[in-house]
Amino acid sequence: MRREHKEYRSKTRIYCDILNSLLKHGGKSGPTRLLSGANLSYDRLMKHLNQLIELGLVQEEKENSEAIYKLTDKGRNFILEFTKVEKFAEAFGINI
Amino acid sequence: MQKSLDIRILIFLLELVSSIISFIVGYYALKAYRTTATRGLLLLYLGFIVLGIGTLLRFTTAAYVGLIVRTIPPTTEHQLAGLIRLAASIYMITQLVAYGLFTITYILQAINTSRTSPTVAQAATIPAATAGPFVQLFFIPQLELIAITLLGFITIYTFTNWLIKKETAAALVTLGFGLMLLSHFFFLLMINSEAFLFLGQISQLAGFLCLLTMLAKVSKTNA
Repeated sequence: MRREHKEYRSKTRIYCDILNSLLKHGGKSGPTRLLSGANLSYDRLMKHLNQLIELGLVQEEKENSEAIYKLTDKGRNFILEFTKVEKFAEAFGINI
Repeated sequence: MQKSLDIRILIFLLELVSSIISFIVGYYALKAYRTTATRGLLLLYLGFIVLGIGTLLRFTTAAYVGLIVRTIPPTTEHQLAGLIRLAASIYMITQLVAYGLFTITYILQAINTSRTSPTVAQAATIPAATAGPFVQLFFIPQLELIAITLLGFITIYTFTNWLIKKETAAALVTLGFGLMLLSHFFFLLMINSEAFLFLGQISQLAGFLCLLTMLAKVSKTNA
């Protein structure tokens, strides 16, 4: 019998996954395209996107009455910083 | 003999470098903790800061003793020996606390992954003419053994991590802790010969330099 291993993601990891997904789409995307990259349900994605907006990592814009989320400079810096921190933690064998 | 004492103090200078590196790694771990709020990184930060403080304390005491030993009258030598023993005890305790914190980090990590006054046998006085045993007073064999046990566990864990990840940074961390472990073996061997002091300090410094190299490598990472 195969046992499925469910990996727990921290809040910071989820933030980074959303931001990375945005980066992959050229730093700008609608919520639907972010769903698979962030591996989240629609409701949870929207909840986290709102938090990212509050933190100034993402900016919301309207295009043809549709919400578009844009990666800010602060968001790009966060991805870079998180990547470094992740490498550091991994080197010591600590999972983030 | 004075020249020989100066060389020993110079060897202790290597500890100052090790201490600075320890503070740098600790600072980076704090920065990482602030970004991710991961408990393991907080323990790593505390461990390196405690280790840095302990190493700095031993360097400061060695430098102080090295300077004062030339001028003190023989009647006050026993007080100096007492000071060295006190500093050595504090140093070893801080080191064990640091290694203990690293060990807790890895034990917690392993759990998470599975879910999802010491005595010194040496002379109690310092003969000002030779100053031979003064260096040995800085090392407490019993506590060195505990340090070896803790570092042995840490080295095995980081080695396993490297086997899984196969990354240079992980290899540098393993090498760093491995060299620190080796340094404690050398310090333990100082029971027989003081010559092991140099080897111990060199391998300890090499261990910290590995961690510094890892930090430099990680800092250059691009997203």
